[in-house]
Amino acid sequence: MDLGLFVLLIALAAILAGLVGSLTGLGGALIVIPVLVIAFGVDFPTAAGAGLMTILATSSTTGAAYLRDRLTDLRIGMFLEIATVPGALVGAAATVFLTHANLEDALLIALGCVLFAIVPVSLAHRTEELPTGVVPDARSERLGLWGTYHDTALDQDVDYQAARTTPALGVMFGAGLVSGMFGIGGGVFKVVALEHFLRMPMKVATATSNFMIGVTGAAGAGILLAAGFVNPLVAAPAAMGTALGAFLGSQLLPGLRNRTVRLLFLPVIAGLGVEVVLRGLGIA
Amino acid sequence: MSAPVPRHPPRLSPEARPRMTLILRIGLLAALALLVVALVAYLLEHPGATSASALASNPILHYLNLPGLAAGLAGGRPEAWMTLGLLVLLATPLVRVLTGTYYFHQDGERTMTAITVVVFLLLLVGILVIGPFLP
Repeated sequence: MDLGLFVLLIALAAILAGLVGSLTGLGGALIVIPVLVIAFGVDFPTAAGAGLMTILATSSTTGAAYLRDRLTDLRIGMFLEIATVPGALVGAAATVFLTHANLEDALLIALGCVLFAIVPVSLAHRTEELPTGVVPDARSERLGLWGTYHDTALDQDVDYQAARTTPALGVMFGAGLVSGMFGIGGGVFKVVALEHFLRMPMKVATATSNFMIGVTGAAGAGILLAAGFVNPLVAAPAAMGTALGAFLGSQLLPGLRNRTVRLLFLPVIAGLGVEVVLRGLGIA
Repeated sequence: MSAPVPRHPPRLSPEARPRMTLILRIGLLAALALLVVALVAYLLEHPGATSASALASNPILHYLNLPGLAAGLAGGRPEAWMTLGLLVLLATPLVRVLTGTYYFHQDGERTMTAITVVVFLLLLVGILVIGPFLP
């Protein structure tokens, strides 16, 4: 295929992925990476490198918007990055090692399994608008992991405080590992940790997760870029397209970003997972 | 039991939020501008190139070190400018972490300052140590 057309098609696919990723809250990289592998014949490490660059672009787009809306908890986000960043470093290093050991197929199968895992996690995830019965732990007290935001829908100021920080840090390490290893944002896992362990309100959890994804992505992207796995002819159109798609998604149809839209696209994620696993097994 | 009421408002300086927003926006726009211009220049310079050739070898491998990047930028090589775009995109969250360090330090919060410094150092270790020296 002509290179110009190749770049253009990746950009168009990425715009669509960014739009869907924004509407579902799952992130564009989750769709871009399997599409690059399946439709464009990109090898997995290069697709993962492009995915991480995509995350950097979209997190700067959405992260800035959430910061402006004062929903992001800067203190809690930066505290949790102490766990996501080492996770991402380990994950990205593992991808480099496994690629050099000619175990790319194993990585593809593992990616397919992660795509599968996202489906039940998303289905089982019951969001609680405002958590009750929160018992803050000692670390939360010591570091002042609490805050207030104005909920426009409820038209009231909402106070919250983090609980169970130790298991949350463990889940965040795992989310970082998945992000660095597969090039996805891992936002689904981060939001679960923020809501279920730290007991943060839903809106603050989503905004804080978006805020953190950029730094987690940078940890993995740094390793894959330095190792030569970020090809700008793939990563640049993917990052630009996804950022544009995410921007359009946030501007044009904000009312659609809800659980129903996510449920509509979960079969797509599962289908991509099946295809990726089949590729890893050498069947597709 | 309902959510506990904070005993005092968050202590991080109110300046931190707009500064971080500005950093993320400027970083993203600068990176995307560099990538668009350099990508178009690369495509114009390689009219007969195919996707197969692009996937077979990464065009920026020679520019992933400081002397190579500097020479490429000075020579107007599109590959070097694409590399710079990727580096700006990568550096944007790092600058955001440093901004957090600055404001936590300014507010006298030792633990949070230390946490952000550790995160920044880990990011640097990934880029400068782990990535280049992996087998």
